[in-house]
Amino acid sequence: MDNLARVHFPSSLREAADLLVARPGARPLAGGTDLLVRHRNGQLPDVTDFVDLSGLDLQKITAEDGRVVIGSGCTMTAVATHPLIRERFPALVQGALQVGAFQIRNAATLGGNVGNASPAGDTIPCLISLEAEVRLFGPAGRRAVPLADFFTGPGRTVLQPGELIEAFALPDRRTAGAFLKLGERRAHAISKVSLALSCWEIAGGRREVRLALGAVAPTVIRCRKAEELLSAAPWPPSAELADKARRLVTEAARPIDDLRSAKEYRRQMTGVLFAKALEQVIGRGASAR
Amino acid sequence: MPTPEPIHIRFSLNGKTVEARVAPGLTLLELVRRQFSLTAAKEGCGKGECGACTVLLNDQPVNSCLKLAATLRPSDRVVTLEGLADDPLMKRIQHSYVEEGAVQCGFCIPGMVVSSYHLLKVHPQPTPAEIKEFHSGNLCRCTGYTKIEQAVAKAAAARKEGR
Ligand SMILES: Cc1cc2nc3c(=O)[nH]c(=O)nc-3n(C[C@H](O)[C@H](O)[C@H](O)COP(=O)(O)OP(=O)(O)OC[C@H]3O[C@@H](n4cnc5c(N)ncnc54)[C@H](O)[C@@H]3O)c2cc1C
Ligand code: FES
Ligand code: FES
Repeated sequence: MDNLARVHFPSSLREAADLLVARPGARPLAGGTDLLVRHRNGQLPDVTDFVDLSGLDLQKITAEDGRVVIGSGCTMTAVATHPLIRERFPALVQGALQVGAFQIRNAATLGGNVGNASPAGDTIPCLISLEAEVRLFGPAGRRAVPLADFFTGPGRTVLQPGELIEAFALPDRRTAGAFLKLGERRAHAISKVSLALSCWEIAGGRREVRLALGAVAPTVIRCRKAEELLSAAPWPPSAELADKARRLVTEAARPIDDLRSAKEYRRQMTGVLFAKALEQVIGRGASAR
Repeated sequence: MPTPEPIHIRFSLNGKTVEARVAPGLTLLELVRRQFSLTAAKEGCGKGECGACTVLLNDQPVNSCLKLAATLRPSDRVVTLEGLADDPLMKRIQHSYVEEGAVQCGFCIPGMVVSSYHLLKVHPQPTPAEIKEFHSGNLCRCTGYTKIEQAVAKAAAARKEGR
């Protein structure tokens, strides 16, 4: 990577944001598993500087004011092994464990997965199914955005120049859930289709259900119709209702044809993943209070 | 483009504190191979897919081709295969690989055995699924994985028997 001129080591978010504004060729560097590969492939010809985020204390996971706050610098391994996350957010644990292989998960961060804004980013549907909010820090101060509104297209987000992802805040509740993906092979492959399902108990023996699909549209999408159907009926859903929901999920998928998989196949597989995820969650239903 | 500014780093390499001056774009893999002549870790793909460059960073396997040397900190501990040369567990693993015929061209092996080492540290008696899972980031183009998996299982069994 000979066209890389400088790496900066800010010690505060403010300093990092200022650097990013002052140097238009600068990009935030977290685990580097996306950035370094793309830089080496010549896909980032204008990037001359990296701003290393590892000194900014972004690696913490805490519970505060009814939210679990996950620092953007937490690695997939850190997320998947943290007791708080394991106890409350099974979909996120499963998602983090399916990013790449061991070596990648020890470097790849949650902030990088979201910052990369790929519709196939595996933790994104998981976080959306858990109603995560992104906490941003920028030259104009702090703000929070629902993750579902953070992406504007493949590789595009609402991040303003100099703005950084500081953390993700998830409502602190015990959920049941699952994340399933279909890739080229079982381990270590980019998703062709992925699905996250999370749910939690509400009044009247029902569950609030959230469903998000990855890699089947320009950004990760929610299936609101299927969510509403499942959330309105007593839990667990009848076979008939589950089948109806499955059809709604398949209809929500709007895959683009690409080299990784044909359109109709991906759409059908979305339904298959949904059925499997539901089965997993109902089977494990007893553990979610 | 401005001239790259070398960056001064200090970290622990195979148990010793070392210092170096590195170009901003230099990877940890290039650093250990070029400046420290530790050539066990290999560059297969240079993009995180093959695992031939696997080293331990703070006891965790990482792809050294995707780690910028400049971002190493004084508290970071890097261990390459050379640093494990006298480790009884690593020796046991290497013997098992040889006994099982798990090595053909050998290019993938330095990375592969570092993953085996990490697995057996974390799960001394791994299940077949754990063996597969912990090596899923290491590609081998010639031996195939069956013999490698057998070698790892054998190393675990030998360890249990105290050999
Ligand atoms: C072999 C291989 C396999 C992979 N497999 C998978 C997979 O199965 N599933 C999957 O989802 N991904 C996969 N990836 C992609 C990648 O590993 C993940 O997206 C990872 O989470 C990126 O995190 P990072 O910390 O390495 O990000 P980086 O590479 O450091 O950064 C990625 C992008 O996000 C920006 N960024 C990083 N942190 C912040 C922040 N705090 N605020 C604002 N912007 C930020 C960077 O500027 C950059 O544009 C794979 C990559 C490789 C090389
Ligand atoms: S050379 Fe690093 S993973 Fe292939
Ligand atoms: S022995 Fe040749 S690549 Fe594995």
